[in-house]
Amino acid sequence: MSAEVSSEDENKSTSSDITRRDVLFTLGGLGAAIGAGAAMWGGLELMVRSRQTVDSWNKAVCRFCGTGCGVMVGMTDGRVVDVRGDELAHNKGVICIKGSMLPELTRISGRLRSPKIRKDGKLVDASWDEAMGLVAARFSECINQSGPDSVAFYGSGQLFTEESYTANKLFKAGIGTNNVDGNPRLCMASAASGYVSTFGKDEPPGCYADADYADCFFLIGSNAYECHQPIFERIRQRKRANPDTVIVCVDPRRTKTAEHSDIHLAVIPGTDLLLLNSMAFVIFDEGLHNQDFIDRHVRFSDGDHEADQAAFRKFLQPYAPEKVAQELGVSAADIRRVAYLFATSTATMSLWTMGINQRTQGTFLNNTINSLHLITGQIGRPGATPFSLTGQPNACGGVRDTGALSHALPGGRLVSNPQHRGEMEKIWNVPEGTISGKPGFDAVNLFRAMEDGRVKAALIMCTNPGASLPAAGRYHAAMEKCFTVVSDAFEDSETQRHAQVVLPAALWIEKEGVTGQGERRYQLTPKLLNPPAQARSDLQILTDLAVRLGHDKLIAARTPQAVWDEWREVSAHSLYNFKGITYDRLEKERGIQWPCPSEDHPGTARRYVEGEDPFVTKGAGIEFYGNHDKKAVVYLRPYAPSPEKTSAEYPLYLTTWPVLEQFHTGTMTDRIAELHKATGNATFDLNPEDAHTLGVQTGDRVEVKSKYGTVLGQARTTQASRPGVIFAAFYDAKLLVNRAVADNYDPTSKEPEFKVTAVSVRKVTA
Amino acid sequence: MALGTLMCILGIIFCIRTARTRFDRADSNKEVNLGITRIPALTLARLLAFVSLIVFPAGAVFLANYHTFEGVHEVRGCASCHVMLPMVNDLQDPKSGTLAARHYKNRWIAEDQCYTCHSDYGLAGNLEAKMTGFRHLARYTTHTYHEPIQARVRFDNKNCLNCHAGTPKFEAVQSHHTAHERLVSNEMICLNCHGQAHPTSVQRTPGSADYARLMERMK
Repeated sequence: MSAEVSSEDENKSTSSDITRRDVLFTLGGLGAAIGAGAAMWGGLELMVRSRQTVDSWNKAVCRFCGTGCGVMVGMTDGRVVDVRGDELAHNKGVICIKGSMLPELTRISGRLRSPKIRKDGKLVDASWDEAMGLVAARFSECINQSGPDSVAFYGSGQLFTEESYTANKLFKAGIGTNNVDGNPRLCMASAASGYVSTFGKDEPPGCYADADYADCFFLIGSNAYECHQPIFERIRQRKRANPDTVIVCVDPRRTKTAEHSDIHLAVIPGTDLLLLNSMAFVIFDEGLHNQDFIDRHVRFSDGDHEADQAAFRKFLQPYAPEKVAQELGVSAADIRRVAYLFATSTATMSLWTMGINQRTQGTFLNNTINSLHLITGQIGRPGATPFSLTGQPNACGGVRDTGALSHALPGGRLVSNPQHRGEMEKIWNVPEGTISGKPGFDAVNLFRAMEDGRVKAALIMCTNPGASLPAAGRYHAAMEKCFTVVSDAFEDSETQRHAQVVLPAALWIEKEGVTGQGERRYQLTPKLLNPPAQARSDLQILTDLAVRLGHDKLIAARTPQAVWDEWREVSAHSLYNFKGITYDRLEKERGIQWPCPSEDHPGTARRYVEGEDPFVTKGAGIEFYGNHDKKAVVYLRPYAPSPEKTSAEYPLYLTTWPVLEQFHTGTMTDRIAELHKATGNATFDLNPEDAHTLGVQTGDRVEVKSKYGTVLGQARTTQASRPGVIFAAFYDAKLLVNRAVADNYDPTSKEPEFKVTAVSVRKVTA
Repeated sequence: MALGTLMCILGIIFCIRTARTRFDRADSNKEVNLGITRIPALTLARLLAFVSLIVFPAGAVFLANYHTFEGVHEVRGCASCHVMLPMVNDLQDPKSGTLAARHYKNRWIAEDQCYTCHSDYGLAGNLEAKMTGFRHLARYTTHTYHEPIQARVRFDNKNCLNCHAGTPKFEAVQSHHTAHERLVSNEMICLNCHGQAHPTSVQRTPGSADYARLMERMK
């Protein structure tokens, strides 16, 4: 303390003398401190490097399945270097391994670079003018000599909406034939005819977001884990957040989806209408139905005549679980349990795909799933909805909505309905009677017509029927007989081998256009790259053909946006109204769900629900306005066994299945090295029990024979296969299992039954 | 904390003292009795100056940094800046389905949840995470940011793989093998398939439907 005293004495005399030096020192110190701080911050800003590796992120849509995920495409120096899920899109940033591989799709080898014409049995390079001149000449010749029904268009659920719309208009209102069909006939037709017959209008009433609210998921004939992974991930997230959620999977195979479900019913292929009717029986028998909902919103029908609830209950009597369990191959107790869960959960969401659609009773199955929701009132609330999942990115928007199928016209109209034809003739401004009243050929019958010469020239776009048709061998020969023109992005597909002219097409972000995915959502894919060499968009090819065939006035809209604007106006004349979905909005927003009648309308997540759907009468709550009495129809749909019944000659069932890493017939995905490596070559999968009986081991070569064809392939034994059923993945062009698959089809939807074929299996010894 | 405050106060007092000392006029012969020993007054003044200008500030800086470095490990530390509240509120929301929330509520990570996933592995990772944190702090205190905030650093898959790779559940998924090299090289991000980690930038934009709920101060 004495130290303080002594120094204080000294300081007293100078304490008030703050010199200029002191001030400068202080300011200098302060400045130095601030400088040091700023330097440190600046240093940090420099050191914490932005690890962004791309120049720009561009909003787009995944090229592959019908989930239609929003993606962000990272571009550097004009190349796609990264693809990520778009967190602001409906998929909330989740995509799958196929979507993650999209950068590879843009640099895949084996792209078609030039038009080709077959000369002396060989496809040789030609100019666009030469190729299109030949196509137009042959089409004109056929139309003039044999009438408009001698030409056909076979399109795809992977074309952009503008392309399918233009093709449909050119052929139906220009050339004057309804021979416009496509691969959606092979995957979605039964879902479409199911929705139309039940609700009066096509397309699902619900949305993907329903998965966030459902307590019971009923997956039937869907391997969502592998085919619609972002949706299944959403279901699993729902279960993680709410562990009481039940996932039921109905599938003959123990798929990945089944593995991740709570209940797996491994039914015998072709029998599941028994299960659905049996569930309806239990629901009424146990009093689990929603009488109030039925009274207000439901009407019964046997397909031809009105029926009532009593008739429906009487119809269900033979479907008591105990009576059908044996034929179904599952226990009666399981049927009762699933019916109980379905009816009593807070919200039940059904999801299905090809296992239900690709069936001779496809429409009936779709009807009955819808019926289960109607009798229990499991519809029109968040989480409660019958939802058909879509296989292709634009089967819904591009083909079903535009009516680019042989029986249909835009906006849910039918060619067989004179009033509908009249409406479209007026809208398209063509003379009365231009549109033929005769439905065109559906997929299978189109190729049969090519076989017997009724169809003489066909334009096939963006699809590979040589691999994707059932009984494929038969239709390879049919394509040979016809003047077949194929527009494709890749060289040497199974279809091109039988084509007379091959046209190189742009792929994914090499062209601009709108796709409509499974929940009625339209999204825009921008053009970010130039197509390779001479390749063109399918829209350019179609408008070129239109001009050459003399329909340049009819096909006046030649750019994607112009076509979309025309189609938007056309939609305003129907209950599909999406006039409010402009290109401008699609560029800014993350897709919009129709109905959307005006530009200030936010879009409709849940259809038929007041407050969301603009077409529901105020005060109605729920209104199925697609039907004249505003009621949905519950049909009495009897089970009939598949024409493919096993016999002594063909003792096993063959069913095809998809794999996660591959999209459809693998035209795109199997060319990506990692995806090809992941799946290898497709095999015939059979249960060890059957394998033992047949004396077959994993790795053996087997011959799988049906009435339709014979396929040789490698066998693999797995517990995932149900005894009595042999499974094959259909992505592998080398195996080409579709050569042995039956081409029976549903009489209503005309969709072939890929999933049930009776076969014999024999070990081949070299 | 208390130690740091005491050190700061003492440091300020000693600095004032030192500032009032006239070293040029100090008498080198003058001695000060400290009780045990007598030392020259000038030496004492120099000693004091050393303590007040070097020891105390260094100590304070060390303590403050230690506190900050350690403090930022805790979720609480991140939540102290209000722009981070949406992440933290969502993390602790049992109803949320984001990756962060699921890791939190299932106690897959027991403590320091933010830091565990956001510091890359190894010494450099630790350092980088701290640098990033300090950059955030600088931006935050100087108000040179705008909402919704965006991460500058790309999330490293290793932070996921270090825990998940090799587990039976991970290995059972074919896609993980298919994409192995791309995952390790960060060419493909884990989030592509496993979804949203935090509330989206739209949710975090002032004025959005979720903004008020996400910005609620934690209790």
